[in-house]
Amino acid sequence: MIRVEHLTKSFNGQVVLDDIDFEVQEGEILVILGGSGTGKSVLLKSMIGLVKPDSGKIWIDGDEITQLAEKELLKIRKEIGYLFQEGALYDFMNVFENIAFPLAEHTDLDKQAIESKVKNILEVVDLEGVERKYPSELSGGMKKRVGLARSIILGSKILFCDEPTSGLDPIRSRDISDLIKNISKKLRCTTVITSHDIRNALRVADRAALIRGGKIVAMGTQAQMEASSDTFVRAFIQ
Amino acid sequence: MALIRLIAYSIAELGNALCFLGDIVRNVLRGRIRKGEVLRQMYEQGVQSVTIIVLTSFATGAVLAIQGAVTLTRFGAKEYIAQLVAWSLVREMSPVFTAIIFSAKAGARITAELGTMNVNDQMLATRSLGVDPIEYLIVPRMIACFLVLPILTVISEVVGIAGGYLVGVFEAHIPSAFYINQTLRAIRYVDFFSGFSKVFFFAVLISWICCYQGFVTRGGSLGVGKFTTKAVAYSIIIVILSNTILTKIIITFWG
Repeated sequence: MIRVEHLTKSFNGQVVLDDIDFEVQEGEILVILGGSGTGKSVLLKSMIGLVKPDSGKIWIDGDEITQLAEKELLKIRKEIGYLFQEGALYDFMNVFENIAFPLAEHTDLDKQAIESKVKNILEVVDLEGVERKYPSELSGGMKKRVGLARSIILGSKILFCDEPTSGLDPIRSRDISDLIKNISKKLRCTTVITSHDIRNALRVADRAALIRGGKIVAMGTQAQMEASSDTFVRAFIQ
Repeated sequence: MALIRLIAYSIAELGNALCFLGDIVRNVLRGRIRKGEVLRQMYEQGVQSVTIIVLTSFATGAVLAIQGAVTLTRFGAKEYIAQLVAWSLVREMSPVFTAIIFSAKAGARITAELGTMNVNDQMLATRSLGVDPIEYLIVPRMIACFLVLPILTVISEVVGIAGGYLVGVFEAHIPSAFYINQTLRAIRYVDFFSGFSKVFFFAVLISWICCYQGFVTRGGSLGVGKFTTKAVAYSIIIVILSNTILTKIIITFWG
């Protein structure tokens, strides 16, 4: 389970996150919605310790991560998959090496076992036959799939996805959203996704939260969001 | 007010850079050295710099001999060209020139690579995958630089002396055996090591500056350009300034 309590973060005096509070239950998919520049990515990065909040607490499966040193955070991050907006693949490694990297770093698997695992995960993300390609040879959607494969290769029980559909056409956006949902449900991952793509976000979400002005202004299921009396929430959803 | 702000910023930057160096030293002392990565970096920083070092060193040695021939002939001391070339190259020019050229080539590459990784979130991705970027990306680059720069300096000295030899023998008409004999007699251990020992300081300074600038790069592609230029400029300035201090110390204690 993930719990965020009174999280606040500002940059150069500008408040980006203002007293954020929410919980994500085990196995749940929560989508954090909001316009561009509303602090969704900062929130997600704070939840994995890549950004230090000014105040507030974050619990990941019982560990309060805001107080942890980088060395301890590195250990916790092995249990969390993180998909970056543009994939953040190492451009000096090919697809195979990118996906194999966490296995080579954190497991004692031999070369054959790693090859087999990478092959399997590429099938899961529907990308067979691209092992030897470099990130510069891949499309935006393919990069995200490879990034997703790399983030789940260790069998993480928590998955964070930062704007997984940004920069993709509607069909690719739907495909990647469905892929994330299927993987989350199959691996029983607790998943948090940030997005401004309302249509695809609501397709995959068990619950959604809407951020505005650094605060969560609405949170609930799709039906609850649609029934909101807040005009901004209804306008955003529609 | 602007000056105070600049001083405060510079002190803060120096503090951050020292903390960064502290992290690197801690990793090295704990034996967190990835040999495969070090070898890859040695190839990229070292082998790929050999051509430019050879070309510039050859030209430097040749120019020293040409100028030496003109000047020393006036005093009837043409036979000392070999000593002039060897001393100049071994004590000063090869260590400093190699460090400067290395800063512009391999140093720029280090900053640009790390900076691009930074602006493309690859550095954050490394941390998100539970891997320390200092250990994985910085330590191998620093160690490779520390190992490669002295080797490049020796190559530069040998090639520079060869450049001087060709001018001395074919242009100044000094007998080949005499030139070689004079060169070998000229270079004492103290001459070689007074220049060579400085290279290790240069290697640490260049790799520290270039890795740090890459590590803190921000601002997209413009930022990569800005921080890379800054890294090369700082490296060259620090090599030249530190050389003055190191030379004075070495001459005082070593001769």
